Amino acid sequence: MPSTTETLPSNGRSKGLFQNTAGLSTLITVTVLTLAWLAGFASRLFAVIRFESIIHEFDPWFNYRSTAYMVQHGFYNFLNWFDERAWYPLGRIVGGTVYPGLMITSGTIHWILHALNIPIHIRDICVFLAPVFSGLTAIATYLLTSELWSRGAGLFAACFIAIVPGYSSRSVAGSYDNEGIAIFALQFTYYLWLKSVKSGSVFWSICTALSYFYMVSAWGGYVFIINLIPLHVFVLLIMGRFSQRLFVSYSVFYIIGLLLSMQIPFVGFQPIRTSEHMAASGVFALLMAIGALKYLHSLNPKGQWKQLLILGGMLAAGLVFLAVVLLTYMGVIAPWSGRFYSLWDTAYAKIHIPIIASVSEHQPTTWSSFFFDLHVLVCTFPVGLWYCIKNVNDERVFVALYALSAVYFAGVMVRLMLTLTPVVCVLAGIAFSILLDLALREDEVPEQSPDSEESKSLYDKAGKVKKRTLEAAPNADTGLGMNVRSGTLIAFMILLMLFSVHCTWATSNAYSSPSIVLASYGNDGSRKILDDFREAYGWLSQNTAEDARIMSWWDYGYQIAGMGNRTTLVDNNTWNNSHIALVGKAMASNESAAYSIMTMLDVDYVLVIFGGAIGYSGDDINKFIWMVRIAEGEHPKDIHEVDYFTERGEYRIDSEGSKTMLNCLMYKLSYYRYDSGGSPPGYDRTRSALPGNRGFKLTYLEEAYTTEHWLVRIYRVKKPSEFNRPRLSLAKRKISTSNTISKKTSRRRKGALKNKPTVVKGKKVGKLE
Amino acid sequence: MRLPAMAKLQFTLFFVLFLTIQTLSASVDTISSDIKLKNVDRTVDISTQLVKVVSKIVLENSGKSSVKHFLFAVEEAAKNNLAFIGAKDSNSKDLRLAETTVKGYDYVKFWRVELKEPLNAGATVNVVVETVFTKALQPYPTAITQQEDQFVKYVGNLYTYSPYYTSTQKTSVILNTKTVESFTKVKPFSQVDGTIIYGPYANVGPFTEKELSIHYKNNSPFLTVTRVERLIEVSHWGNIAIEEVIEIEHTGAKLKGPFSRYDYQQDHHSGPASVRAYKTLLPASASDVYYRDTNGNISTSNMKVKKDSVELDLRPRYPLFGGWRTHYTLGYNVPSYEYLYHSGNEYLLKMRSIDHIFDDMQVDELVTKIILPEGSTGIKLNIPYSVTRLPDSLHFTYLDTKGRPVISFIKKNIVENHIQDFQIRYTFPRLLMLQEPLLVVGFLYTLFLCVIIYVRLDFSIHKSEHKD
Repeated sequence: MPSTTETLPSNGRSKGLFQNTAGLSTLITVTVLTLAWLAGFASRLFAVIRFESIIHEFDPWFNYRSTAYMVQHGFYNFLNWFDERAWYPLGRIVGGTVYPGLMITSGTIHWILHALNIPIHIRDICVFLAPVFSGLTAIATYLLTSELWSRGAGLFAACFIAIVPGYSSRSVAGSYDNEGIAIFALQFTYYLWLKSVKSGSVFWSICTALSYFYMVSAWGGYVFIINLIPLHVFVLLIMGRFSQRLFVSYSVFYIIGLLLSMQIPFVGFQPIRTSEHMAASGVFALLMAIGALKYLHSLNPKGQWKQLLILGGMLAAGLVFLAVVLLTYMGVIAPWSGRFYSLWDTAYAKIHIPIIASVSEHQPTTWSSFFFDLHVLVCTFPVGLWYCIKNVNDERVFVALYALSAVYFAGVMVRLMLTLTPVVCVLAGIAFSILLDLALREDEVPEQSPDSEESKSLYDKAGKVKKRTLEAAPNADTGLGMNVRSGTLIAFMILLMLFSVHCTWATSNAYSSPSIVLASYGNDGSRKILDDFREAYGWLSQNTAEDARIMSWWDYGYQIAGMGNRTTLVDNNTWNNSHIALVGKAMASNESAAYSIMTMLDVDYVLVIFGGAIGYSGDDINKFIWMVRIAEGEHPKDIHEVDYFTERGEYRIDSEGSKTMLNCLMYKLSYYRYDSGGSPPGYDRTRSALPGNRGFKLTYLEEAYTTEHWLVRIYRVKKPSEFNRPRLSLAKRKISTSNTISKKTSRRRKGALKNKPTVVKGKKVGKLE
Repeated sequence: MRLPAMAKLQFTLFFVLFLTIQTLSASVDTISSDIKLKNVDRTVDISTQLVKVVSKIVLENSGKSSVKHFLFAVEEAAKNNLAFIGAKDSNSKDLRLAETTVKGYDYVKFWRVELKEPLNAGATVNVVVETVFTKALQPYPTAITQQEDQFVKYVGNLYTYSPYYTSTQKTSVILNTKTVESFTKVKPFSQVDGTIIYGPYANVGPFTEKELSIHYKNNSPFLTVTRVERLIEVSHWGNIAIEEVIEIEHTGAKLKGPFSRYDYQQDHHSGPASVRAYKTLLPASASDVYYRDTNGNISTSNMKVKKDSVELDLRPRYPLFGGWRTHYTLGYNVPSYEYLYHSGNEYLLKMRSIDHIFDDMQVDELVTKIILPEGSTGIKLNIPYSVTRLPDSLHFTYLDTKGRPVISFIKKNIVENHIQDFQIRYTFPRLLMLQEPLLVVGFLYTLFLCVIIYVRLDFSIHKSEHKD
């Protein structure tokens, strides 16, 4: 916290700590931030307390696995890691297809702790990384907001972001994902950017670039920064707010940031080759052009330069735009990627990329989830935005742009709620600070305001903030009555209390489920843990061959690799659509067609999730329609979505379900010998129906393991020799004696390789010894 | 110059000692023709996965001089399966045993049993010898389906294997089941409930072997602990932490064909040979018990605190069928005053080198590691049975500077009878207890000092614009 250490030496020396207000306010700042950190940390521990210290969900398992790999094998081996356990038979180059910031962060922490002989397991570091970083995010938000408005607003914002559900949804203990550290990097980069725009110092710009580098290494969302900052510069240029400070800070940031971001293997040359990054270079060129024009202007200030300046600027902008379009057209710059394009056209993914649309967090946001994730902040942040626009300066233009773009993105995708949350906290913090200022001030205007002004001038270095408070003061005394004031105060207090209650409740109930351990509550309130996922993965890891290949839907790929330590065909890194479609096709085909796909892919086991026995709704039958859609996208000849619906267009599994549906592999694997459950045996609780096809037998697969609550079912794919052997009549059967076997196996049989290890020669050698 | 000389002297002394020990242990005995076994009453318990043989021997000295010891032999076929041997006299006091050899009988394993008092000519004495064999029961058939019972085959010796002449002997084989496929029938024999009684047979000569084979149903858990790593971390602040990393395999008849959850759920007798759960007994003072594996806590377990022990009802994540494996970590704390004794700077740690895992357990390999407090010196280890001591190492944990000494040893083929105490003596200067708190205090002090100094320094190149 640079600001606190800065203020201490100048003021703390002459007077005692409690005599001077600056020292006291530093103390308050530090205390509030520490408490915010603690509160944020504590509110994210529900999952650990209720369950245990465990990695949650899907993607975190991959992050954890690669972190553990890095800790074990070292950083360079991690960068060169070719994971043959994923995407069989293709494999995956992990080092080059991952944002390594997360792993490096926790690996560094692990390394430091172990250097100090503190033997903390890497899993615990991974579990608690996100809650710890939420405290850092709170501090970064405080810095950002105090840069924008005042320290009071900063403290409000820090407290908000520490507990707001929109952010804690992604950073509870155990949710070891890129977002957990990326939001900190995002806020801190923005803070440093504002600092550098304000000061125009190369030092702050380089800090911005370094922080941006960290962000690039941590999360794909860095694209948001590299578009928002140029947008800010561009808008400032349009507003005629060009200055040397802006010129220095942007050009330094852009060049250093560009070079640094290209150091991440996964990003590589994207910053100069893709459309997503072109805005930054375009604005850079524009800034250069305008800088040059300004320079010419300064050489001869008398001439008719103003019009030329505007004209030249527009011309430069047009040229840059044309150049980008031309380069894109020529294929030098890659056009917008599908994932990015779906941000502009929400229907795009549904039509063209079903795999993106199949993920629930890529759906458009509903109004209720805005309120659920942000509560009172969603109502107050426009107030802060209004004040920022009303009292506009360079930094506040930035926060306005930040707010507007984030609101748009959050509306498109539930997932991007995460980028909206910080700015909402900042603006709501400003709003609350102003409102409280209004409500509290009037009473104390005669005695207190000079005092507070003095104290503010002491620690607020930047002159502009001081001016702002002076401006705000005359607005304030419009005459609020005593009752109105106290009423407002009480209303705010209640609102804030409700907000914190809501935050705790939402974090505890909605976002703190590890999702690999389920809990159900009995009528008497007793808790029963359904640990089926780990049961199945534990079984896989112990009782299958080391190199066994497991086929499952891609959702479970990371978990199988992380907990079961077995080879998977597809996983949550959905980079190869056709491979996923092939698995989808296998699941959607009938048994024999699926068998040929499975032998082609060397599948040893098939894993399906079946929630019918306990009423778990996120199971494979409910996801099945997406498998069919994805498979149809790649194999339109073999798979038709229509076949899986009834004639009336219903998706059902009971006796009225379509024939294709009742005979496909997924259906069979889910309901094979399923006769327990509800009151009629074999009742499917999730879909509230009695399965239509029952009592069937499997020819090509056999049940290898089913967990206690039927949640995970694992089947072994039989070898060709184990089924459908051509039936020979009794007379034709040859009963081989040991004599004939030895003659045949040693000489004539083609597959002699299999017999080699059992050759008797080895034994002889052993005996000789 | 004096020190190396002293060291040399010490070395020679040790060497001589070592030599004498070597020669003692590899001693060669002769079979005394004076000794006769008047009566042997042998019980072979094969109702579990172990073969527990208890031989009640009435020893007679038919010679003229008194006898101080006698030999106990284990036949060639069984000697590799022998896990434990122990002898007691009629007052059930332990007798000393030493491994020995006899010229001309290299293929037999001999144990010399030292009697408490010399056996005078013509006198008799009662001795009970207990032997436990692991992996002596072979599942037959070797693979069964989920619903089938497990049958095993026991192949042993019909007579008591002994280097001496045996006058009369009787053998009862405890099966605990009436379902016997086949068994050796040498008259006189009788089958009562779950027991087959052979004998009495009279006048059997030394080293007589005759095959005794029993093929019977045995659904008791055939669980082999393939490896246990037991970590004992001693703290002088009043706590001893114990952690066991356990790998278990079901070594009975392998599961053939599919596993059907439906059958397993429908019928409680389904999977008779599978193991759903087992009980582990911990010391009564055990607290903070955890039961987890690499994927986290195993939620299917119960703990009962009893008067003299803590009983853990451990259920692996999945039922164990033949050939299935599992692994887990079990840890707990015990207060150190029960196990750690000291006078002045001298300490004595007395603990079990292995603890109970489940009833009738068989352990292939045990690695016990004892972590002593930092600064312990002069460590001496004393174990009631022979083990392979591994080189000492160092362990670093919280606030360690030069590392804690780790004593570790390996023992193979272990059964319940090996649950015995080891003793470690070491010297620990009690003043060293202050080291860790002082380290923390010192660190905080330096930290604050650094902050205080840093705050008073001004690194800025130019003066701040607005002075206060």
